[in-house]
Amino acid sequence: MDNSIFTGKNVIVQGITGKNGQFHARNMIAYGTNIVAGVTPGKGGRAVDGIPVYNSVIEAQKDIMVDASVIFVPAPFAKGAIFEAIEASIPLIVCITEHIPVHDMLAVRRRLKNSKSTLIGPNCPGVLTPGNQLLGIIPAALSMHGDTAVVSRSGTLTYETMDLLTKAGFGQKYIIGIGGDMIRGTNFIECLELFENDPEVQRIVMIGEIGGTDEIAAADYIKAYVTKPVYAYIAGHSAPVGVQMGHAGAILGENNQESATAKTEYLTKSGAITADSITELVNRVQ
Amino acid sequence: MNLLEYEAKGILRKFTIPIPSGVPLRQDNPLPKAPVVLKSQVHAGGRGKAGGVIVVREQSEIASATNRIFNLALKDEKPQTVLAEELLEISHEYYLSIIINRATAEIELVVHKEGGIEIESHDASEFLRKSLTSNSTDALGEMLAEYYDLPNQVFTLQELVKDLYDCFIKSDATLLEINPLILTKNNTLIAADCKMALDDDAAFRHPEWRFEQMPTSANFVTLNSHGTIATIANGAGLAMATVDAVKQAGLTPANFLDIGGGATVEGIVASFQKILKFPSVNAIVINIFGGIVRCDDVANAILEARKQFTNLPDLYIRLSGNKSTEATKLLADAGLILYPDLPTCLKELTNG
Repeated sequence: MDNSIFTGKNVIVQGITGKNGQFHARNMIAYGTNIVAGVTPGKGGRAVDGIPVYNSVIEAQKDIMVDASVIFVPAPFAKGAIFEAIEASIPLIVCITEHIPVHDMLAVRRRLKNSKSTLIGPNCPGVLTPGNQLLGIIPAALSMHGDTAVVSRSGTLTYETMDLLTKAGFGQKYIIGIGGDMIRGTNFIECLELFENDPEVQRIVMIGEIGGTDEIAAADYIKAYVTKPVYAYIAGHSAPVGVQMGHAGAILGENNQESATAKTEYLTKSGAITADSITELVNRVQ
Repeated sequence: MNLLEYEAKGILRKFTIPIPSGVPLRQDNPLPKAPVVLKSQVHAGGRGKAGGVIVVREQSEIASATNRIFNLALKDEKPQTVLAEELLEISHEYYLSIIINRATAEIELVVHKEGGIEIESHDASEFLRKSLTSNSTDALGEMLAEYYDLPNQVFTLQELVKDLYDCFIKSDATLLEINPLILTKNNTLIAADCKMALDDDAAFRHPEWRFEQMPTSANFVTLNSHGTIATIANGAGLAMATVDAVKQAGLTPANFLDIGGGATVEGIVASFQKILKFPSVNAIVINIFGGIVRCDDVANAILEARKQFTNLPDLYIRLSGNKSTEATKLLADAGLILYPDLPTCLKELTNG
């Protein structure tokens, strides 16, 4: 992932006429994000707070060079909205929508292959580059510009981390919420690569959760390629292991890697600095 | 959402996948005719090994066997339904499942030559895994015929893989496991048992979904019904982190509770109601981080809920972020202390 995708200026909001879309479009504008248009099928020609609304992303693109789209479209229509943005070759798509069916996301991932787009999310708080722009719903008032980069699967825990870092004097260059879904557009590794390659980033904070093996893959990447300090916390040490359905999980040998303890141990072995609570983790940040 | 065997087989039937003939029975239904296999319909695994499957050959034994299986609790779960199926003449048992590979975002066929209840004794490396997303079902059926060593069943297996894949996608399944896939002595392939999980998030496009256990909210999980500390937080990550911190402080958390993004009075009242069911809880830790949520709204909700419950355990509240100054004042006026962070909150709790 290249950092130029986060410096693009012209941002559209898909689903701008909905309650969430409208509320967060205003928040983003207040932070300084250059929202140039909104898209809601069937509502083209209207305006929200003076921002023109188009029927489709392609239609909007005829008038404006779009750099990024933030999607608030309800789950049943989110796949269609993401497809539209990919077909319009929008470089950065941030999908906030939660509860998108997993089969829809499998289709999205297939469509993303060989496309010109990067998708962040879904089911995520978005991307904040403090002092630059907000693409999503992160409470930017708690952030401060600086040289720490944060990547997280969680929402509120990201805000908490950001707040603790700011209070401890560590400003942030990136806050990226990649989302908690099983299938998502961007994973830890792409973010770690971005952070490692950005000379302004001095340290990395990574927040994972139980379930899946993405943090294990991230740990392998850290060991092989990341030279900057990585501080990692995995939520869910006391969570019950999910009721296993069928034998597939057990026979594929993935279950024992999915616990918070297993992930934390593996990250520690791979060179990350870990802690059992977020407060403790931020206390260790240097 | 995990389905019971008979529910999953009902879906397989719609996709013309061969299953044994059978009838789901309720306790007050007429007794089935022997010979028959009685299968307890519970969500718990390890059913066969625990006695949840009974083969009844004599009609004279049917009443006692039916009674026994309805009253056998498997991992604390008694069946509401028992599936009565034809007795199959088994020649061989295979394993076949369709899963979603999270790492590659592809749908995969996973197979093993030896299926049955000992399937977990095989090493992960022994299973053959093939992408259904990037291979044709015809090619996979042909491969399967060779792998299972069933050269006369190429067309049958091609048809089976096609139907199963179709079923997996159109049903919005996240797991479809046939174990065992049986070759009968008449050389027919039958899905003798089936486990299926469906995606709750796709329910909006499946009005036909009617199952014994409909999805329950993942927002509330009982961790220990005799735990002494109840927890309330907003956001799944923060809720998990809160439970972790309580445990780390040497206390026993009773539950995980994520009130979500909009902390309303109704939501908080409902949370207290659930928590009051735990007999041993003597304190409630409330950990809210106001991002979009306003802490003063949450504080008002807590005060409102407190009026409705006079027997609440002690509250240890930490509200931070958006409008927390206003929240502190609201709570202080009502005589409640607000702690600046979770460690301080828990320190007070362990000392007091």
